[in-house]
Amino acid sequence: MPEPDSVARWELAAGGKSKRALAPTANEQEVIQLFDELRSRLMRYLLAFGLPAQDGEEVIQEVFLALFQHLQRGRSRQNLRGWIFRVAHNLGLKRRLARARETSGVLASRDALAIQSDPAENPEQRLLSNQRYQRLQSVLRALPEQDQWCLTLRAEGLRYRDIAEVLDMSLASVSASLGRSLARFSRVDVNHGC
Amino acid sequence: MLHPDDHLSDQDLVLAADGELTPRRDAEVRAHLSACWQCRARMRRMEGAIADFVQLHSATLDPQLPPAAGPRALLKARLSENARQSDAPRRLVLAQVAFALTLAGVAIALVLHFVPRSATASVPRPQLTPGAVRPVLKADVCAVSGNQVLVVPVALQQRVFEEYGIRNPRSDAYEVDYLITPELGGASDIRNLWPQPYSSTVWNARVKDALEQRLHQMVCDGQLDLATAQHDIATNWIAAYKKYFNSNRPRQN
Repeated sequence: MPEPDSVARWELAAGGKSKRALAPTANEQEVIQLFDELRSRLMRYLLAFGLPAQDGEEVIQEVFLALFQHLQRGRSRQNLRGWIFRVAHNLGLKRRLARARETSGVLASRDALAIQSDPAENPEQRLLSNQRYQRLQSVLRALPEQDQWCLTLRAEGLRYRDIAEVLDMSLASVSASLGRSLARFSRVDVNHGC
Repeated sequence: MLHPDDHLSDQDLVLAADGELTPRRDAEVRAHLSACWQCRARMRRMEGAIADFVQLHSATLDPQLPPAAGPRALLKARLSENARQSDAPRRLVLAQVAFALTLAGVAIALVLHFVPRSATASVPRPQLTPGAVRPVLKADVCAVSGNQVLVVPVALQQRVFEEYGIRNPRSDAYEVDYLITPELGGASDIRNLWPQPYSSTVWNARVKDALEQRLHQMVCDGQLDLATAQHDIATNWIAAYKKYFNSNRPRQN
């Protein structure tokens, strides 16, 4: 739970506390509920895109404001979680493209992110773990981007049908992608004689 | 049906691990796995790969997650602002509807006030205008033309309007008319006067004028006695019109 000061700073960013003293509407409550449920999952997905955390945060704000408008217009409530990931994916791609233009194509990639070591491990175990993670990261980096997205979405709990919808793929392509990727991961230790 | 020598594909193993197979295919895959050590070992490796990826995913990304409370507060404030903004057009529309309804109400009130009522207003109220006659003979009646215009004094007209609850009447909307016309012996008495609408109904003042002329003509021609003419026009002039013109609708002049 962050300190109250950090909350106040974000409220300041929104232009101070809302002037509207009315109770939140049902749509506002629903959006906040979905934010609470999905925000960490969405943020991990966007970080895996290579977006900086600040950009990911802005994308998530846009996603939930769009969701609010979606609900306010009385549009479909079917599979809102799938809808949220799809919008986040599309906005994330746009943001990444814009960021790449700004930074001449240099973006933080997932493999550049630091791996936190388990403090319970001894130095030898930590070394072996790090070496294994490096190999896993190499496998991940070598995957086509769409396969990485499939894996990440699956890791965030989406079912195949939702992944197919988010990435605009067929169900068969999703299962083929996951099968291919996991088969490569499963051979990491075999290829290194473990 | 899977043949024991046909091994499962990576895709089948992942689908089985994720519970995404159809029940029939799932049963086939499970049956094969129970018989085939090679596929069961691959299945274990596949599940291990899933665990590895999940661990890698969390280990690299979880430490990067910023706290949620600040963005949550920002989102709440923005939603509140958006809801307020989306309320504003709705409030404007409601205000416009209320204004339109008020205008419509005023217009209806004006119409009801100034424009004569329909069929019920085409005949006088018997309580207010039962009809009143002068003591005249047929000869007196027939000594004057049936087209003679007898103007009702303004003060008397005003009293008639007041009696009928009509305020500020338009001069072209009503004729303060004699129920029993003076040509048939009607009196200049408030009990024989009523505000008759000109234009709002089929049975208007001009139609009644035609009836009065017809009755005067008939009385003077000896086709109808004066008392009957006075009685019929006072009781229900529309019924009298239908009777003496032998028509259910006013005739076109």
